[in-house]
Amino acid sequence: MSKGLKIVVLVKQVPDIEKVRFDYEKGRLDRSSAEAVINPFDLNALEAAAQIKEKIGGVVTVVSMGPEQAEDALRDALARGADEAVLLSDLRFAGADTLATSYTLSCAVRKLGAFDLIVCGEKTIDGDTAQVGPEVAEFLGIPHVAYVNEILDVSIAEITVKSRLDKDNYVVKMCFPGLITVTKDANVPRLPTLKDKLRSRKAEIAIWGVGDLTSLDEKQFFGLQGSPTWVARVFAPTSGKKKGQIVEGTPEEKARKVAEILIKLGASQ
Amino acid sequence: MNVSEDALAQELVSIVGKEWVVTEREYMLSYLQDETPEPVRPKAASNLILVKPISTSEVSEILKTANQARVPVFPVGGRTGLVGACVPTEPGVILSLERMKRLEIDRDNLMVVAEAGATLGDLLRACDEAGLFFPPHPGDEGAQVGGLIATNAGGVRAVKYGVMRNYVKGAEVVLATGEVLNLGGKLIKDNAGYNLLHLVIGSEGTLCVITKATIRLHPKSEHSVTVVVPFNGRHEALQAVQKILLSGVVPLAIEYVEPDEINLSAAHLNEKWPVQAGRAQLLIILNAESEEELLVACEKLSAACSEIGAGEPVLAETREEQDKVLRIRSNIYTALKPQLVDILDVTVPPSNLGDLMDAVERIAAKHGVHLPVYGHAGDGNLHVHVMKEEGKASDYVAKVKKEIYEAGVRLGGVITGEHGVGAIRTQELTTATDEKELSLMRGIKRLFDPNNILNPGKVIT
Repeated sequence: MSKGLKIVVLVKQVPDIEKVRFDYEKGRLDRSSAEAVINPFDLNALEAAAQIKEKIGGVVTVVSMGPEQAEDALRDALARGADEAVLLSDLRFAGADTLATSYTLSCAVRKLGAFDLIVCGEKTIDGDTAQVGPEVAEFLGIPHVAYVNEILDVSIAEITVKSRLDKDNYVVKMCFPGLITVTKDANVPRLPTLKDKLRSRKAEIAIWGVGDLTSLDEKQFFGLQGSPTWVARVFAPTSGKKKGQIVEGTPEEKARKVAEILIKLGASQ
Repeated sequence: MNVSEDALAQELVSIVGKEWVVTEREYMLSYLQDETPEPVRPKAASNLILVKPISTSEVSEILKTANQARVPVFPVGGRTGLVGACVPTEPGVILSLERMKRLEIDRDNLMVVAEAGATLGDLLRACDEAGLFFPPHPGDEGAQVGGLIATNAGGVRAVKYGVMRNYVKGAEVVLATGEVLNLGGKLIKDNAGYNLLHLVIGSEGTLCVITKATIRLHPKSEHSVTVVVPFNGRHEALQAVQKILLSGVVPLAIEYVEPDEINLSAAHLNEKWPVQAGRAQLLIILNAESEEELLVACEKLSAACSEIGAGEPVLAETREEQDKVLRIRSNIYTALKPQLVDILDVTVPPSNLGDLMDAVERIAAKHGVHLPVYGHAGDGNLHVHVMKEEGKASDYVAKVKKEIYEAGVRLGGVITGEHGVGAIRTQELTTATDEKELSLMRGIKRLFDPNNILNPGKVIT
């Protein structure tokens, strides 16, 4: 007899966006200027997982990659419906881009063993790429549905969701195992009960480093070493005035002059 | 009025400059009312001039001019009051101090010197940036410092540190004659004679015009949490208030709400109230220096509540979550307002709140009406809402209000705990107050304002 679904939720600890300041000299967020919180979209992922667990039964495991302090985010997740937590923390994970992050998370999910569903927030508020969820699915070789704004039905074998892409809604049925990323519209995250909050403070959190994951794959795919992209510079865009040019003459002359200008700017003949 | 409107306007222009005197009614509409429910809101008079001074000396000149000409002056703040206290009910001058909004934080003395026109929002932000904390939160952050003091505003965070009166340590005020007084100061102790400062606080613009105030602050607490506790019924929730306070936990706020009203407010804001359990709920705000300390307090209050069968407490911890909960609570009034005739704020000793609730239930049953209630349970301050019947104020309204006031006074309370008397409770104040006390109040009014130019028709008539 089935004991329900095995659900993994991927979360990230981010600075409180309401308070964080930008260090213009260093070109990066001054993370010390604000308290760290769970990425708000990940709260929707946790809520989706908690609701599925309440309906079908099962276990929700929450995984995060980050420094030791990210343990706070995992305890918060445990208070909000997760049953188990794993922190991926190792200096060699540092400097990871979305590819290395996805790779690391997918290794952790593999190490956890068989699973049915992975739930992620649609993106993080500090990176804003929305790439990690789908990339994790690719590394694991499973299907995914991104931008889920409603879970229409779920059973022990499959999930039916509504996903919004541009202006259109798509209803998609996906067999397990699979991955979804959820938007803010998917649900209203619950507040933790005092009982769950107190339980979460005593819970044991597994901490895995590169050594715990390398038996599965190669070390060079982690952290900065495994990141083909990096942030060269961060700057606040300045608003420049667009230069206008008025072209005079007959319609034919105007067309010729515009064409000359465009060709000079690099347009092909 | 011993002067023509045009001549008065000219005199005011000579004091504050042309652009700060408004005589066209269409440009002063928002100054003609406050947030009092429409069915009981007093009507603004005609022949009004709106003036906006920038300094205490300009306020002084305006009052001197008005006093000589026997022209009524109606000081206004953010116009967020609920008893028509700032509505200009006679021809005269509307005095808005909105341009006087400087704030000066004094970290060494844990005080801020604020001009009367600074808003509550300005004050909260300035304190936050300085790492300090101003606890009272009467709800609308558009309220101005002068109005907060003139109405002795209360709000949701009065249990631990008290209402506005507990924070004001000094004030610069302008008398009807134009004379400027400095009352109190950056002092923790002050026993030098009769305390005129506390006479001015809560005087609703009838004794003088407050232009500046020295307000006490607290260091900012690093940690806070908002707890929502569901109960099976009204009585259980109200019993829990005393048990919480006796447990040694001193919250910033203990608010009483019921699901119908709080869900209506959430829907009004397009939000969702996080707790659906229970027929009554307490919303409790706690602050502390550490998370450990907060959780110990939560466990204590949870134990106190569970003695009377409370459900599992739910915690709003992040700033966003706490702001959302408080925002929904603060908007119950806004959500109910379209169907509202009047909002009462009868206040009784906290331990008598259950009896007041019983009395309200009996009155509602007797008249066959629904009287939504919520309030500041930790302060014994209950907001009973008298609603429209089929879209209009019915005959029962006056009877219901009278019976609720009588019940409050019988239980050792007062007809108003925070909204004040304003224009719409003068009769009730007269009925509920000892004649000698009223006579002293009238004497004080005459002493401060012999020509009765300051906010006439309000508080004492």
